[in-house]
Amino acid sequence: MEYVSPEGLRLDGRRPMEMRQLRAEIGTVAKADGSAVFEMGNTKVIAAVYGPREVQNRSQQISDQALVRCEYSMANFSTGDRLRKPKGDRRSTEISLVIRQTMEACILTHLMPRSQIDIFVQVLQADGGTRSACINAATLALADAGIPMRDIVTSCSAGYLNSAPLLDLNYIEDSAGGPDVTVAILPKLDKVTLLQMDAKLPVDIFENVMGLAIEGCKAVSNYIKEVLLGNTKQLEYRRGL
Amino acid sequence: MGLPNAIGDLSTEVEVEAFRRLFPLRFYEKHLSESIRPDARPLGRARDTTIALGAVASANGSALAKIGSTTMLAAIKMEVMTPSMETPDEGCIAIDFHMPPICSPIVRPGRPAEAAPVVSKQLSDTILSSGMINLKELSLVSGKAAWMAYLDIYCLDADGALFDTALLSAVAAFSHLDIPEVSLNDDGKIVLLSEEQEGMSDRESVNKEKRKVTLSSVPFSLTCILHKNYILADPTAEEESIMETLVTVVLDSSSQLVSLYKPGGPVLAYTSAIQDCIALTRQRAKELQKILDEAISGMEVD
Repeated sequence: MEYVSPEGLRLDGRRPMEMRQLRAEIGTVAKADGSAVFEMGNTKVIAAVYGPREVQNRSQQISDQALVRCEYSMANFSTGDRLRKPKGDRRSTEISLVIRQTMEACILTHLMPRSQIDIFVQVLQADGGTRSACINAATLALADAGIPMRDIVTSCSAGYLNSAPLLDLNYIEDSAGGPDVTVAILPKLDKVTLLQMDAKLPVDIFENVMGLAIEGCKAVSNYIKEVLLGNTKQLEYRRGL
Repeated sequence: MGLPNAIGDLSTEVEVEAFRRLFPLRFYEKHLSESIRPDARPLGRARDTTIALGAVASANGSALAKIGSTTMLAAIKMEVMTPSMETPDEGCIAIDFHMPPICSPIVRPGRPAEAAPVVSKQLSDTILSSGMINLKELSLVSGKAAWMAYLDIYCLDADGALFDTALLSAVAAFSHLDIPEVSLNDDGKIVLLSEEQEGMSDRESVNKEKRKVTLSSVPFSLTCILHKNYILADPTAEEESIMETLVTVVLDSSSQLVSLYKPGGPVLAYTSAIQDCIALTRQRAKELQKILDEAISGMEVD
């Protein structure tokens, strides 16, 4: 099947180095300390952060830092066929662990000892790149909750099909069987926190694809910064500053 | 008397927010005696309600309903199944209500909220018994194939009146539902018609075109809290946690009573209180019908 046409257009009309449309909104869940909705094309994810609050399970309390927990779940209607088991299956558990470790690396946990920070991510619509959308949404939600972090974490995926590196794969391109590289970076510190890849890829092409994904992450971080600045301006207006 | 005076003295010294946290019941009673609530609503008024249809593009029918801050996302997915022996020409509806941990600080992962299965069962009973959907409409080939509609409702923000918002989102999702086109292929199996096959006439089309489900007697509900002599319509989560007696009344579009639910609670209600609740629900049902009609006509214009 042709994923990139001879004119250089992908199945959804994008260029190989073009990202899907991004849309983010902060403060959507009134009850949560911080929340955000993040959309990458048709993938729509909602994240809520509760914390820092008292540790619910005393035996897990850490005396010198905060405990970070994360749960990833998909809505039954998020994918094409209705999901029977939206959480507790292997994929969801793995992604929960990945998101937790990624966010834990950038939260200044030593500032909040003996407390717990819960990050809950719910996928409402899945069209490829759910892992990246979840990390981006979690970053916005943590910022909305005012939790101190070293830097924001942004994530993006890239692949390699029909001899072309493609940025931000959707579901059809992802299930084509080609390699899928997911990267998460701390943009200002220019460090990589998450790097996952499946399928085989020669090392020089891999460097190309990873470079493309990092460019995507930087684009996402510019957008996230805009959204956060816009939110702060709103708060300023409301307080009459 | 020592204690009331002490609280009385404290109320002049302590800040409003602290008083609200320390003595929630007295805080509310001070407001109720003036016939108003802390969010400036009169006792019988519900919060601002909005409905957005088609919130989930990948589902056959979906809606997002908000009453105040309480947000519910309902989506319907249709699958073909074989009907049971007892009802060979009827389809089936499976209703499931989820409260993921994002909706409220009291829901913990691994420990589902207490309210979730209760609301799930209530919703299931109300929708199936109200006769809103005629199951015979969901049949395709008698005895061989029928539609199974999976309705999943996710609570995205839990701020009181969960059942009302969930029922509203379910009703809105059904009114947005488009039953997909299918045809019977040579093996006798039902096959979803995709856009490319629309021109083909050699296949017997079981479902001529994308059709809507006819909704008769749409149910609308209102939850009220009873506290001493007061009746508060559409409680927030704070009000529900302080004053625990809830009464939920469900009426259909012809003002017939579909369901009445009062699950215990410290306040015992006289019949007159229940009748007042029903009167409030009647008014609310008219409001909700208007809001739903506006949302539907808004979609059709597009």
